[in-house]
Amino acid sequence: MSRVKTAILVVLGLIWLAPVYLLVVNASKSVDGYDAKTVWKPAGFSLFANFGDAWSKAALGDTLVATTMYSVIAPVVAVLIGSAAGYAIVVLRLKRGFLWFVFIFGGTIFPLQMILMPLFSGYANSGLYDTRIGMIIVYTAISVPFSAFVMRNFFTGIARSVFEAAVVDGGGLFRIFRSIYLPMAGSALAAIFILQSTFVWNDLLLGLTLSQSDSVRPIMPALTGLQSTYGGASLPTVLAGGLLVSLPTVILFLAAQRFFSRGLALGQF
Amino acid sequence: MSNQVLDRTGARKAPLFGLPAVAVVALLLYLPFLWTTYVSFTDYDGLASPVWSGLANYKAMFSDPDLIGALVNTLLWVVGMVTLPVALGLLIAVLTYGHKWGTWLRLPFLLPYAISGVAVGVIWGFVLQPDGALGQALGFFGLPGAHTGWLQAGPGNTLMMIVAVTWQAAGVNALLFVVGLQSIPAEPLEAARLDGAEGFSLFRHHLWPQLRPITTVVIGLSIVGSLKTFDVVWVMTQGGPGTSSETLALSMYKETFVLNDYGQGAAIALFLSLVTFAASILYLRYQLGDAREQG
Repeated sequence: MSRVKTAILVVLGLIWLAPVYLLVVNASKSVDGYDAKTVWKPAGFSLFANFGDAWSKAALGDTLVATTMYSVIAPVVAVLIGSAAGYAIVVLRLKRGFLWFVFIFGGTIFPLQMILMPLFSGYANSGLYDTRIGMIIVYTAISVPFSAFVMRNFFTGIARSVFEAAVVDGGGLFRIFRSIYLPMAGSALAAIFILQSTFVWNDLLLGLTLSQSDSVRPIMPALTGLQSTYGGASLPTVLAGGLLVSLPTVILFLAAQRFFSRGLALGQF
Repeated sequence: MSNQVLDRTGARKAPLFGLPAVAVVALLLYLPFLWTTYVSFTDYDGLASPVWSGLANYKAMFSDPDLIGALVNTLLWVVGMVTLPVALGLLIAVLTYGHKWGTWLRLPFLLPYAISGVAVGVIWGFVLQPDGALGQALGFFGLPGAHTGWLQAGPGNTLMMIVAVTWQAAGVNALLFVVGLQSIPAEPLEAARLDGAEGFSLFRHHLWPQLRPITTVVIGLSIVGSLKTFDVVWVMTQGGPGTSSETLALSMYKETFVLNDYGQGAAIALFLSLVTFAASILYLRYQLGDAREQG
């Protein structure tokens, strides 16, 4: 029985890895050495030249700086705002706290499509359209509900006596939040950060709608741009671009797998 | 210090800590939500003022052939996503759970989860090229279909893109099912094993009933996710050829930002939201119910 299980898993696993194999092998071929008829056969190694090509042709360099900014700053700010809300609701026993919580968490229930058009109009009218700060603001807002959800659950698990002792010691509410509750929540904060950071990095729709210039546009819309300008002409370059933008999230995922599962368990999804 | 005094100390200043979250969510998520709702009942091109048009945009959704096509495609996505990745995820979870090398054998399925929808589209667009990787593989094994244009006609193109997203989503479903399996108490299971239950019978009578709650969550999430399908389609076909692979999420984007028919785009968005909301209740009831018990 166990041997049958292993066999099924190995065969399925190989099928699952095939597209990854194809991506790496063909992203490594030189533009001239690429032959559409023999995509399964490795040929040469020009991966770094293709990275360079994708980098300069799609202005991925500028984009990479901007996207890194978004996917670090927005989740950090969102995690702080979300934790503060969780702290208010659970620890400070905010009046009608559950209602506050439902309101904040409800922000993620509807699809992005519902807010795209007003955001576009509002951003155009207020000068936030195609600015880095505009992108950071929208990514922060999107990340707040999930942060608040997880942090509320997390703080629920901390004994009431911790707060009582801190108040008796004479700490202000903000200090208790900053120097007692936040440090205790390290692993939860990290889990939220990793999940939200991955979300921002992988976003297409908001970037497509709210930006256009190379220095503001996030990396995923930039990659779709690369694909359409090239058409089928230089597939290795497009594939190298696809590989390049996937590396950070894949590495992050492999390094922090337990945070991902923990994040899933914490949010129960 | 008494508990009441403590509660009062906290409760007075509590709103200050909750306010930033509420403000951000209200301003950037709820306010746009309300504006889209209003615009969906109007004729609006984004420049002149919106003109009230009642349900005209909604009627168009069910009479315009392109939008009906998008509706059907979206339905295909929902059906595809609650079956393929869920069934595969369950299979992978059950096979790897308790397996000596379970964590490692699960890894190939989890890898695509860390990749963006755009990159999945790039990879599978390449795999599914006419006479491309898939065609060559089929030819090599002497199977039929080697020269199929996978993305060149509906509904086949939608089905192939569902396969692409299954490749991405099966792993995370497996992970969720593993979390579900881990929460099953070990003793009754051991007892069942001692009674001679094994293989499929063990799964059906002892594991499956306990996996029901997590299955609800997985299916709820799959429905919600499939309703929003945009990235992969945008990259692989842009909804084409023609509008043959358009989903409602894609139609919404095109109506609004390509055709400047903001009212129509808003109506599609609101329709999607209502269906999403109904599907969310499926798993939120489970999640929030849990949260309410805790506090």
